[in-house]
Amino acid sequence: MRALRLAVRLRPAKLALAVLGLVVVLMAVGDTIAPYDPLHQDTTAILAGPSAEHWLGTDYVGRDVLSRLLAGSRLSVVAAAEAVGLGLLLGVLPGLASVYFGRVFEWLSLRVMDGLMALPFIIFAIAVAALLGNGLHQAMFAVGVLLAPTFYRVTRAAAIGLRQAQYVEAGTLFGATRWRIVRTHVWQKVLPTVVVTTATAMAGALLVVSSLTFLGIGVQPPAPTWGGMLASDLGYLTQRPFGPVAPALLIIVTVAALNALADAIRDATGDGAPASAAPLHEEVPDAISAAVRR
Amino acid sequence: MTAAPAAALQADGVEVWLGRRAKSRILHGVGLTARSGEIVGLIGETGSGKTTLARAIVGLAPLHAGTVRVDGTPVDGLRGAALRRFRRSGRVQYVFQDPLRSLDPDVTVLDSVVEGLAIRGDGKAADRRARAVAALEQVGLDPALGDRLPGRLSGGQRQRVAIARALAVDPRVLLLDEPVSALDAANRNHVLRVLDRLRHEREVAIVMISHDLGSLAGIADRVVVLYRGEVVEEGPAARVLLEPEHPYTQRLVTSVPSIDGPRRPLITEGVHV
Repeated sequence: MRALRLAVRLRPAKLALAVLGLVVVLMAVGDTIAPYDPLHQDTTAILAGPSAEHWLGTDYVGRDVLSRLLAGSRLSVVAAAEAVGLGLLLGVLPGLASVYFGRVFEWLSLRVMDGLMALPFIIFAIAVAALLGNGLHQAMFAVGVLLAPTFYRVTRAAAIGLRQAQYVEAGTLFGATRWRIVRTHVWQKVLPTVVVTTATAMAGALLVVSSLTFLGIGVQPPAPTWGGMLASDLGYLTQRPFGPVAPALLIIVTVAALNALADAIRDATGDGAPASAAPLHEEVPDAISAAVRR
Repeated sequence: MTAAPAAALQADGVEVWLGRRAKSRILHGVGLTARSGEIVGLIGETGSGKTTLARAIVGLAPLHAGTVRVDGTPVDGLRGAALRRFRRSGRVQYVFQDPLRSLDPDVTVLDSVVEGLAIRGDGKAADRRARAVAALEQVGLDPALGDRLPGRLSGGQRQRVAIARALAVDPRVLLLDEPVSALDAANRNHVLRVLDRLRHEREVAIVMISHDLGSLAGIADRVVVLYRGEVVEEGPAARVLLEPEHPYTQRLVTSVPSIDGPRRPLITEGVHV
């Protein structure tokens, strides 16, 4: 937690948090503040350029691009968060358990994660969509399952070094349960690594959501998403060359902010972390202090 | 005539193997006894097995053979919930050699000292904190340091926090691994005074691993000499340190640097155990 507090004091982290805060606001109120219905088609203004009525122009069926971007924020970000949340759940808990809850679980979980890592991503996502139906949740389930090994490996790597830590042994000698050891001594040390991975995975998931939507897996038209808009705008580059710029920029800025946040946390937890400023000194008896002053 | 009370700590025939083969054996049937109110010094060169013996006694190193009894009750066979219950009693405490590594860098001093009491669920949170404050005061630390992280304390303060953490759970047996080796003279004397008081006021049996023979000479009742995983000599501190019988102990004692004596390095080749 101390590392996270240090991280948010860094300038890149502040900037990243400001951008992400804006994305969250867009996610929460985007469809409310959208000037038009994102599904409304204005057949008199197809592929129109930016104007006073349509600040970012319109798409190939006359829908307002700004309204679709605002309304699409929620679906894009929620989908990415859903996948990352599932990856966290399926990766972090088994990662910790593999270190502290016996060799049988360790062996089993390692083999399962090896298996998941061997699966080709897009093919697995398409197979899940074919098996469970083509929908956002099904696609995010596939993404989340395949993110789990990443979380598993980083959590396990961070926790395994603490298994022999003397303060963990000291807790064991007090009769602490393994759960208490994990909660009290291990989790705080693992958390910064998990947060860094979450930020990176969130950025990756956002791109994956966009890619899958681009391929027509997950979110179905006409529901607006950033990736879906990018895909549809690419088909009309000759008529409206600047079309993909707005959704692409939104994706790039959000992903860059997540990566910047991850970097800042890594900087704060690394060797270059600012040291505590407190002086190291023993209490000096009054008599000695007085003698020194003389 | 009544039988003598059982020793607070009695370890017999302790063997620890690092691997499966006999050549990985690092303790060869070592015995160690400490009675209530007694301070036993455990000396020997680096790698002689002092720390391993202490870790085996508290159950951090697996015993290949031997028994460990606390107040006459065997504890080496305890496993699972029974072992946790015994550990929660706090009867045997171990103070690690390096307090910087044995204190969680993200947990404040007071919370570290409270930990043992919290694990066994002693009283309310306020009572536990009061007992932790008392333990800090007992080792001469200002309770105001309780809110600091270990990284913001000096080496001497950290060592005393580690001792306070062990004292907070009211142990019967205290094993200390080099408690004064990293301390300056003032801090060393302070820690030694605390241990001496514990022995007298609370009848704690103390096993003190140390390279500092001078410190042991002033405080230990008995000294046990360990060489290559075997006890080569033991007896009253004054006798072992002033009139050592075993050649290894003689070299160990004479190798202590002295400002007025000749320089005599410790050479172990040719010492027959």
